[in-house]
Amino acid sequence: MTDPDTKAWFSRNIEQCMDSLYGLALRLTRSNANAEDLVAESVAKAWSALATLEDKERFRPWLFRILHNCYISEYRKKSVRPVEYGYDDIVVDGKEDDITGFLIEQPDDFLNWWGNPEREFANSLLGEDIVSAIQMLPEAFRIAVLLVNVEGLSYDEAAEVLGVPPGTIRSRMKRGRTLLQKALWQHANEAGLITDDVKRGCKS
Amino acid sequence: MKDSKDKPEIDEIGCLEAINGLYAYLDGEMNDPESIAKFEHHLEHCQACYSRTELESALGELIRKSAKGKAPEKLQNRLRKLIDGI
Repeated sequence: MTDPDTKAWFSRNIEQCMDSLYGLALRLTRSNANAEDLVAESVAKAWSALATLEDKERFRPWLFRILHNCYISEYRKKSVRPVEYGYDDIVVDGKEDDITGFLIEQPDDFLNWWGNPEREFANSLLGEDIVSAIQMLPEAFRIAVLLVNVEGLSYDEAAEVLGVPPGTIRSRMKRGRTLLQKALWQHANEAGLITDDVKRGCKS
Repeated sequence: MKDSKDKPEIDEIGCLEAINGLYAYLDGEMNDPESIAKFEHHLEHCQACYSRTELESALGELIRKSAKGKAPEKLQNRLRKLIDGI
């Protein structure tokens, strides 16, 4: 596939994916310069590998997979790594899919808040709070949340990108989101955004 | 007046089952109509799960908006040049 039509088709699709590619690369590498290099390298690799794309409708997940593989093989070591939750703290006895078991292991004050949800909590958060919380997630959870929650991929598509079964995406989404909320809750707690009633577990 | 026998019966689910299905529901991954009906039926009767679903939905929207990337112009030009040159 090297005719002008193919090149035009590829160009159009890359134009549509540029923002997503950069967003993913930036959250993975945590560096503007590395993110730009990673995207450019992935696009070049995608063109070279275009003959392996079996279904044009699945161009996006196919392209994201190339970016993810390229990140793992060449950029992961260079990435800036802030404090992250440890994967071992999150996966206990291999029971990745049981969200309630995971919740029970959390501190009481977080559970009290979790059990008394207030929609206003979301309104009190800033975009930068969300981005910081995402950056704290271990990579396996971060990429799942980015692919599904931010890029709108289905669990099947995200599984295709990461080369894991769809069930793994399902469990990573549960735990990833819970961890995100824990980070946001800690931030809100420190900033005094959570009322004493909610901390105690009784809504006012 | 509609006979109660005509109403479809929906099995009750508990909070634990609802919470375990919450993200699949929000992500559009709960494809079985019966599971969706059971989940929504539970929300109609459980204030805590309803509120949790509302908050999760609002947070999901916030995450989508906040973490979306925007390719810098420099990168856009670099990619266009790269494609022009192949």
